[in-house]
Amino acid sequence: MLTVTDLNKAYEGKTVLTVPKLTVPPGIHYFRGSNGSGKTTFLRIVAGLLPFTGTVLLDNTYDSQRQPVDYRLRVNYAEAEPVYPDFLTARDLTAFVAKAKRAPAGQVDQLADLLGVTAFWTQPTRTYSSGMLKKLSLLLAWLGRPQLVLLDEPLTTLDVETAARLFDFVHQQVRRGVSVWLTSHQDVALTGLPITATWQISTGTIHLTSDAFTG
Amino acid sequence: MRSLVSRLFVRPFYAQNAGTLLIGLLLAFGFMRASDHEALIDAALGSPMLLGFFMFLWGLYTLKAVAFVRSQLAAPEQLFFNAFRLIAAPVRGLIWLWVVVDLLIPILGYAGWMLFRAVRFAQWPAVYAITTAVTGLVTVSVIWVDYRLRHPSPTRLRLSLPSLPIPYLLFFPTYWLRKEPISLVLTKVSSGLLLVGVCLLYPTDDYDERLLLIGLLLAVLFHAAVSRQVSAFDRHYLLLLDNMPYSVWQRITQYLALYALIWLPELALLLRHCPDAVAVQYVLLLWLTGLGWLLLLHTLVYGRQVDPDRWLACLFAAFVLGLLTIMAHVPASVWCALGWGATIVVSRFRRLPLRVAP
Repeated sequence: MLTVTDLNKAYEGKTVLTVPKLTVPPGIHYFRGSNGSGKTTFLRIVAGLLPFTGTVLLDNTYDSQRQPVDYRLRVNYAEAEPVYPDFLTARDLTAFVAKAKRAPAGQVDQLADLLGVTAFWTQPTRTYSSGMLKKLSLLLAWLGRPQLVLLDEPLTTLDVETAARLFDFVHQQVRRGVSVWLTSHQDVALTGLPITATWQISTGTIHLTSDAFTG
Repeated sequence: MRSLVSRLFVRPFYAQNAGTLLIGLLLAFGFMRASDHEALIDAALGSPMLLGFFMFLWGLYTLKAVAFVRSQLAAPEQLFFNAFRLIAAPVRGLIWLWVVVDLLIPILGYAGWMLFRAVRFAQWPAVYAITTAVTGLVTVSVIWVDYRLRHPSPTRLRLSLPSLPIPYLLFFPTYWLRKEPISLVLTKVSSGLLLVGVCLLYPTDDYDERLLLIGLLLAVLFHAAVSRQVSAFDRHYLLLLDNMPYSVWQRITQYLALYALIWLPELALLLRHCPDAVAVQYVLLLWLTGLGWLLLLHTLVYGRQVDPDRWLACLFAAFVLGLLTIMAHVPASVWCALGWGATIVVSRFRRLPLRVAP
């Protein structure tokens, strides 16, 4: 469960996101909103990538700012449009993230096979298509033992076969207690995932639109 | 159309190579007067070998300019320009001629100066040679860029070189070497030559250790741009870095290792050229002092948008203040303690690298 309290994010003095109080239970959560509504900003704040005022608390224990190491061991993030140094390979980036996130033995190989990254493992990222970059970013997002995985536009540029394997894997992870938040401009029904709740981000704030219990 | 091709090919070429061209101009006209150039031109007009060397340099420049246009034609954001091939060939050739002439202005200008002197001194073989070379370079360039337009996405021959793993410590140094080599060479050559010069100067007169400290201060200032480059690299290419579960001290250790690696050649040079009158321990202290101040620059700049003019003014003020302090006999040990102490205080205050709001 993740709790956000008194969150305020401003760019150059202009507030773009205000969340007085938000409690997100475990499960699969879909955040939707129009272009520029603040979905990516919100996910990046939760991932610990952007400075903000307020509190983000995981499981009532891990504060993103006070316990940065414990928090970041449990919260992972996949970017919507990943950018990496073009001379690095999937092997270089995976080795770096796997070590930092303390990935268990064998996890890298398993995820690389699942997402089809093994095929271009030692190629520099400058030779990648946008779909290959997306697969690499999704691989990095599952390294370690995350409790919450944030997937920003996971459907974009991903081929149908890989998407099917990925969402099957997501389903398995959710059954093991991992929570997944995702944003998408496409129909999330395509993922086949049982969405716990849908949240609308608009006019600089977030509100619940439907959940599995109330419909 | 001319305005469009200028914005697509000419302006980006000069913008991308502004630093290189500026250095070339400084080297060519900063140390040589116009009369020196005229003497060199006169010598070249009478020497086929020297004239050939000039043409070789023009060829290199042309190669760079044409390679830039061809790379722009292949860039995804310029794919719309493929429609340009629908224009009639003579008109297209004329537009390419404009582009090539605009790109080759530096060498055309110098060749024009040479031609002027060759005609004046009736050096007709040189006139023919220069005219042929320049016409040839322009013509081949026009044909070459038009060929790429008509034959996009060529099949490239790729050598299957073994791909060596790159550890995180070498991410930025590899980037620096591959993407900003001129900055790397200028920084390390300037800093290294300065320190070697100071070491060689030291025994020639009754200097004390303050001379070495002044050399160190300048060598550190030569590295001032590196901290901004590291910050920009992390911000642009390693967004995921702030999601990594590193403690503040782990990140400081990582940057300490990075800057120690960058600063390592200076240690080798100092030890190699260490004057007899200076103890090795003092050289080590100097190197550690430099490392501490490099880290301080990093902690001040990292994650911030720094105005280059303001940054340059701050560095100049720091140089003047540092010079005065050194002249007031503040010892290296105090400099060392100040640099490292300030690094720790600033990084604690800014809670780097997590950049959370205070």
